[in-house]
Amino acid sequence: MEKVKQKDLILYSGLIILGLAAPYLFSAFKVQLTYLCVLIVLAMTWNLQGGEMGYNTFGNILFYGLGMYLTASVQVGMFFPLAEWTESGGEKTFVHTTAQYFQGIGVGLLVSAIVPAVIAGAIGYAILGLRGHYFAICTLGLGIAAGEIAGGIEIIGAGQGFTTPPFPAEIVDTEARGKFFYFLSFALLIGTFVFVKYIYGSRFRLILNAIRDNEDKAEAMGIQTMKYKIVGWMCSAFFCGLAGGIMGGLIGYIDSTDVAFDGREMGVFMVLMAILGGKGTLWGPVIGATLFHFFKEGLWTLILGWQYVALGVLIVVIVVYFPEGLMGWLREKYPERFGEVIDDKDRKAQVELK
Amino acid sequence: MNKIAKLFVTFISAITLALVSFTSSFAKVDGEYIVLGSAISLTGKYSSNGVHTQNGYNMAVDRINKMGGVEVQGKKYKFEIIYYDDESNPKRAAQLAERLIKQDGVHYMLGPYSSGLTKAIAPVTEKYKIPMVEANGASRSLFTKGYKYLFAVLSPANQYLEVAIDLAVEKNGGKGVKIAQAFEQDAFSQDVRLGILDAAKRTGSEIIIDDKLPKELNDMAATLAKVKAVKPDVLVVSGHTKGALTAIRQISEMKVDVPMLAMTHCDAAKLSKQHGKKSEFALCASQWHKNLSYKDSFFGSGKKYAKDFQKEFGYDPPYQSAESSAALLVFKDAFERANSFDRDAVRDALVDTEMQTFYGNIKFGPGGQNVAKPMILFQVRCKGDDCENRVVAPTKWASDKFYHPIPKWSERS
Repeated sequence: MEKVKQKDLILYSGLIILGLAAPYLFSAFKVQLTYLCVLIVLAMTWNLQGGEMGYNTFGNILFYGLGMYLTASVQVGMFFPLAEWTESGGEKTFVHTTAQYFQGIGVGLLVSAIVPAVIAGAIGYAILGLRGHYFAICTLGLGIAAGEIAGGIEIIGAGQGFTTPPFPAEIVDTEARGKFFYFLSFALLIGTFVFVKYIYGSRFRLILNAIRDNEDKAEAMGIQTMKYKIVGWMCSAFFCGLAGGIMGGLIGYIDSTDVAFDGREMGVFMVLMAILGGKGTLWGPVIGATLFHFFKEGLWTLILGWQYVALGVLIVVIVVYFPEGLMGWLREKYPERFGEVIDDKDRKAQVELK
Repeated sequence: MNKIAKLFVTFISAITLALVSFTSSFAKVDGEYIVLGSAISLTGKYSSNGVHTQNGYNMAVDRINKMGGVEVQGKKYKFEIIYYDDESNPKRAAQLAERLIKQDGVHYMLGPYSSGLTKAIAPVTEKYKIPMVEANGASRSLFTKGYKYLFAVLSPANQYLEVAIDLAVEKNGGKGVKIAQAFEQDAFSQDVRLGILDAAKRTGSEIIIDDKLPKELNDMAATLAKVKAVKPDVLVVSGHTKGALTAIRQISEMKVDVPMLAMTHCDAAKLSKQHGKKSEFALCASQWHKNLSYKDSFFGSGKKYAKDFQKEFGYDPPYQSAESSAALLVFKDAFERANSFDRDAVRDALVDTEMQTFYGNIKFGPGGQNVAKPMILFQVRCKGDDCENRVVAPTKWASDKFYHPIPKWSERS
């Protein structure tokens, strides 16, 4: 891994300090900031497939939703009978103690990271042989199918939805819940960023790029593409699952198609954010997600009823004018400034490949 | 530091500044206005009912403000509502509730449309101890969670169609009937289903078809084909507005003969207008009907409300609008009795609510549900091409006799 340069160090420590101070500076915006962290994570992990590997997946929402259900189920199931908790009507209400709540969510998050990764491995083994549009359509189906299946499983609430355990009542501070979920998601964001940054400096990324640029050639050069594709997807699933688990706890209510396997919103957003920022770059998804979130939170309420039209226009504008995203656009416009500084290796690697 | 990083930092600082300057939130009571907040489905699958709800709220706000407003400690206040669009999505609704409370400083909430969204918002309002009067979340599980700040002016969802099963059994000479049912995969409809399961057990009826319908509901031909084959005594369908419209459309297209058809959301779907004679004889559960004899001093009777609503919005009010209007009457009453803007005082006043509105009597049970008002059933009946909803149960308000069984399609003109 490349040694972190001093300039970068200033930037990173600045951002981390800002991140740590944010819930105190903008106390009222904690939930939105938590969303932002999760959105960035989703965009970054999508970028590993769509940007680096060239496999445009709509299936990452599957891992996000799985993580959500798994965290909540483990959190409840560790201490109480899950079936009775979710039983329609919920005549019985169980209350988690403070210790139970945090133990539950801790173990739940662990499970929600590992299980989706394993499932990604299994599904990947089956479908990563597909390429291009076929892969995209196939993964689109995954998310939809998962939503319908989850909507039929009684033990996780089926169509009734699943109310996740409420934050322990013993903690009287109303801000505590917001802070807890914010720091959890911020930690996840840092973890994901460090991991992706590490990948960016590794041979693994070059292999992913080789798969994107010409899979057959990569294969001919002796790279076991299938193995790397699967591992790549498992990495994404790991972080998507965690993101889902955090979101489930934050939202407090899991609905099969509208919250968990929400391919129409989250599933599309993660693609859109990565493309908006510039896929195949380290900072692109971060910037894309940030801009998108501000656009959404800032403008959507001003144009009540028309927000999806605006979103449609945004998509068209991005695709027509910034097909390579903001980072790509900047790179095209100021190649010398761009190429010299950010992602030196990336630039060189690309030049070499070309 | 490189250029891009600089740009990024500048961008972040600009946003930071903007946010800091925005954080100063409004007050719960702004000058002469009492500010209420609501996340409403203006887009997405619940958009039509979301608009019915919003119209109901707006109508009541206008009326109450025009008639002098709310008097607290000798001063007159007016209502004002901050709306956001929740896009029919629980995730968004929870986020917006948070936003209304934390950023807009709202201290009193009005409910969203549908049980699922109310389920998503209730934990948030509960956490911040914000009283919420909701008019469109009927799912029974909302009232068993021990929420202290949630008040619903409507009857729980499991009561919607139980009466219909009782009616069918009665028509069958007290013997159990064969029930075919299809319910949308959402919190509300699944609760209606539970009610039917209870009723079936109680009356010794048998459920021979038990189908689930997808959320984006526009086809139920598979269920109807089965119904044609096994000939049940009752067909029960619930899937909000789209469910009602789809059912009637396909039943008439496929000429499905069934002696009794019970549904929800017929009036919200404007079934009698949209489908005319095809919808005749459909039996519908409703929270309210304009012909009921309840009264209050703001809207007068149900008929008067319907007339005023028609004038204002150009259509006959479905019960979703009526119950939404009632929610504001409840709030007004509670504010005046509490004679304070303290949230807990208002909450305690809400607990003690006992009043009559044009929509019905309102008194909250321990779980927050309205226990003072029964559900009613109406049946779509037509004279020539002119169809309307007539109340058939309970007998106290019935204007017409329940027509049973539904004639076969071959005998209908």
